[in-house]
Amino acid sequence: MALMILRSLNIMDEAREAVFEETREDTSAKLGMWLFILSELLLFGGMFILYSAYRYKDPVNFHHASRQLEILLGTLNTIILLTSSLCVAASITALRKGERRLSMVLLMATIALGLLFLGNKGFEWGGKIEHGIYPNSPTLLARAKGEILFFGLYYVMTGLHGLHVLVGVCILSVMLILIDKNRLNQMRFIPLENAGLYWHLVDIIWIFLYPLFYLIT
Amino acid sequence: MKPEEESHGTRYRTYVLVWVGLVILTGTTLSVAGMALGGWTILIALAIAGTKSGLVLNYFMHLRSERLLIFKVIIPLVMAVFLVFILLTFSDLAFRGGVK
Repeated sequence: MALMILRSLNIMDEAREAVFEETREDTSAKLGMWLFILSELLLFGGMFILYSAYRYKDPVNFHHASRQLEILLGTLNTIILLTSSLCVAASITALRKGERRLSMVLLMATIALGLLFLGNKGFEWGGKIEHGIYPNSPTLLARAKGEILFFGLYYVMTGLHGLHVLVGVCILSVMLILIDKNRLNQMRFIPLENAGLYWHLVDIIWIFLYPLFYLIT
Repeated sequence: MKPEEESHGTRYRTYVLVWVGLVILTGTTLSVAGMALGGWTILIALAIAGTKSGLVLNYFMHLRSERLLIFKVIIPLVMAVFLVFILLTFSDLAFRGGVK
């Protein structure tokens, strides 16, 4: 994906009229990003199916396990990611308007919120691990099969999602540097837009993870 | 609305409004989870998550203002593929006899 963003940078190095209208190359760069996003959706989709299948088999234990998660932390992280999505969207608009400073501040806010999300997640995982609940732990293995499966899926799915957040933070940081160096500006903003699309994808995945893991009744 | 017709000022306001909507929907999904609605709970939760994704896709990710047809069909197409996976998996699960 980094490659895709770099490619979109190169493409835009080519002759470009000084109008803000979208060029064909911009469209292809965005389309490439969308194809990647869709493949990511199917990757997580597969895991959602796995989750649904096991939950369908053992709803009671899934419910028991889910009640051990901190709803407050999950809700807080949802709000954090939604707000970060707002920031990155506004940051792109700011760059397109030529408000470089504002765009950078908003991008920094996005990155900070992303890190905050990871901090919360780490805190939450830490708490669970402290209670002896982690894959293959003796405490967990002593429980019902449904609970073992729930926590296995919880660690894999939120872990993979967390990894995506981390990657997103890195990409957005690169974008921040590029704006600072004026490699991205009012006329060259597609890489930032693509990075933003990736960030929104991470948000969308969490939108589904949140009710499925934290809000089972 | 075409992207160039949409002023950037409007965009900021739209984004904030969409964000408010998303936060309200998060609150809704949280309070619905507290009610005892049986099998409806999961359906309502998924419907709300779907609505939230729709907002993010259309406004934050600008699907709404994309002009090319491919951007319009791409999501429904992938959702259709995903639906086939779900149907196949669950038709297997539901009619699987005896074997555990």
